[in-house]
Amino acid sequence: MLSIKDLKASIEDGTQILKGINLEVKPGEVHAIMGPNGSGKSTLSKVIMGHPAYHVDGGSVELDGKNLLEMEISERANSGLFISTQYPTEIPGVNNVEFLKMALNSKRNYLGFPEIGDDEFKKLCEEKMELLEMDDRYRDRGVNEGYSGGEKKRNEILQMAILDPKVSFLDETDSGLDIDALRIVANGINHIMSPEKAVILVTHYQRLLDYIKPTYVHVLRHGKIILSGGPELALKLEEQGYDWIEEK
Amino acid sequence: MDSMNKVSLAQSRIQAIGMPRRNNELWTFFPVAKIPAASATNFATDSATASDAVSIPSTFEISAEKDFAALLPIAKNAHTMVRNIADGESEMALIKANNDFGHTVLNIGKNARVSLEILDNKVIHELAAERFDVCVDEGADVEIFFANPANELPLRFRHFRIVQAANSTVRFSSIERGNGISRVSIDDFLRGSGARFEMRTLNILNGDSSSHHRLTIYHEAPETTSVQFARNLLDGHANASYDGSVIVNPDCTKTYSSQLVNTILLSEDSSVSVKPVLKIYHDDVECTHGNTCGELDADQMFYLVSRGIPPESAKKMLIRSFAKELFYPLPDSPAKKRLLQVLE
Repeated sequence: MLSIKDLKASIEDGTQILKGINLEVKPGEVHAIMGPNGSGKSTLSKVIMGHPAYHVDGGSVELDGKNLLEMEISERANSGLFISTQYPTEIPGVNNVEFLKMALNSKRNYLGFPEIGDDEFKKLCEEKMELLEMDDRYRDRGVNEGYSGGEKKRNEILQMAILDPKVSFLDETDSGLDIDALRIVANGINHIMSPEKAVILVTHYQRLLDYIKPTYVHVLRHGKIILSGGPELALKLEEQGYDWIEEK
Repeated sequence: MDSMNKVSLAQSRIQAIGMPRRNNELWTFFPVAKIPAASATNFATDSATASDAVSIPSTFEISAEKDFAALLPIAKNAHTMVRNIADGESEMALIKANNDFGHTVLNIGKNARVSLEILDNKVIHELAAERFDVCVDEGADVEIFFANPANELPLRFRHFRIVQAANSTVRFSSIERGNGISRVSIDDFLRGSGARFEMRTLNILNGDSSSHHRLTIYHEAPETTSVQFARNLLDGHANASYDGSVIVNPDCTKTYSSQLVNTILLSEDSSVSVKPVLKIYHDDVECTHGNTCGELDADQMFYLVSRGIPPESAKKMLIRSFAKELFYPLPDSPAKKRLLQVLE
C-alpha cells in the first residue's frame, strides 16, 4: 500500500530533517510513530504530501505502486493520501461545508466519477457529523475559523471521513482533546478504518493507543526510524522514555 | 449662491489651483498625465447654459476646495439632483448619472434609515466625474455603496463630501473592478458626538487598470469613530493606491480611528501605494493604522490542495474568501447582499 524507502528531506537552508526513513504500511494496519520533539515526525507527513517548504533529497514514496513524489499535491490527495497536521490551518471566508464538497468532488472528478448531488452530500455530511458528534455550527463557519484546538481536530477527522482516503497520516490528532473528545475522535477513526485502509498515527502518548490499537509502533529519532515493535513498545516508551534506545 | 455663480466659482477655483500634479499631496499616487487636460478644463460652452437652481449645502465651500475632482462636476455645470429624506423615513434609492458629470445633494433627516446604491453611467467617454454632498442629521443611519461592473470607462472621479451630526452612522462600501482608472475621494466631517463613519472598499484589478482612494476624516466632536478598511487584489500591471488621512481636533476625547489596507499581489508587475496620515491634537484617543502586502497565504493554499482541490480552484477560493471577508461584518442590508452577490 504505502511504501517509503530511504526518504531524505531537508528545509530551505539545507538542514536535513529526514535522514533515510523506511516504512512499509499494508492494508488494514495501524502504525503509530512516536519520538521526542524535533525528531521529524511532523516533517514526514508534510514531505509525503509535498509541502513546498521541504526538498526531497532522495528516496521514494509509493502508494499502491504509484510514485507519489512525482505527483502534484492535489493528485497525491486524490490518489488516496490524507494528512492531518498538528495545527490545522484556518481559512476564514471559505465555508467549511462548501470546502468539503469541493474537495470531495475534486476527488470524484479525478477518479472519473460524477459530482455528488446536493442531497447525497447533505446526507453523507450529516452521517459523518453525527458519528463525530459535531453540531451545525461547523457548517456555517469558515474552515477551522475560530475553532478551539479540539474542534479543529474533530473537523480534520470529518474531512477524513468524507474523503475516505486509503492512507491517513494523522499528526498528533490527540493533542488539544479532552477525554470525551478523544474518545469521540478515536471512535470516528476506528469507524472509518477498514481492512482496505491504513492509518499512521503520530502521538506522544499511550492514551490514544488505548482507543486505536496499533499494529506496529515505531520510534523516530534524528530523522530515522530507530526502533519498531508491537503495541507493547508504546507501553514501554510511556514508562521509560526514549533514552534507553540505542541508535544504530 | 445662484447656479451660474457656483459654476463660475468652481471654474475660477480650478484655474487657481491648476490641473492635478504629482507634487500635490492630494494626487501623489494618481497617474495625472492620464487626465485629458483639454476636455477637463474646457468650460467655455459648458458654462453657457445655467444649471437648475438648487439649494447648495452650507458646508459646500467652493472657494476653500482643494481637490480638483470635487470641483470638476460643478465647473462643468453638472445637473444637480437634490434629494431630501425626512426625519424618521426609511428609503432605498438608486442613483445613476445620465451624463459624464453629475452632482447629487442628499439631505438626510434625523433618525432616517437610508440605503443608497450608486450605479455607473455606462456611456463611454473620455472622462466622467461625480460629486455627492451628503448631510446626515442626528441619529440617521446611511449606507452608500457601489459595485462597478468591469466596464471600459477610461477615467472616472467620484467625490463625496459627507457631514455627520451626532450619533449618525455612515457605512460606505464599494467594489472597483473597472478596466480604466478610477479615483474615489471622500471628505467626511464627524461633527456630532457619537458619529461613526465606516468604509470598506475592495479593488479587484488587472490589466493596466488603476484605482485610487483619497480620504480625509475630520473628527470634530468627542466620541466619534472612523473605520477604514481597504483590500486589494491586483493582477497584471494593475495599480492601487490608498491615501488616508485622519485629523483629530483638540478636545475630541474618546476618538477611535482605524485604518487597515490589505493587498494581495497576484502578479510581479502589480503594485500598491499606501499613505496613512494621522494628525492628532488630543491625547485621549485611540488611532491605529496598518498595511499588509503579500501573496496568497502559502499555508492556506497547501491546506486546500492537500485535500485534493486543484491549485487553480484553490487559488480562486482563497481570492474569493479574501474579498468576501471584507463585507461579512456589515449588518444584513441591501449593501451586504449586493456586494457579496457580486463576488459569487
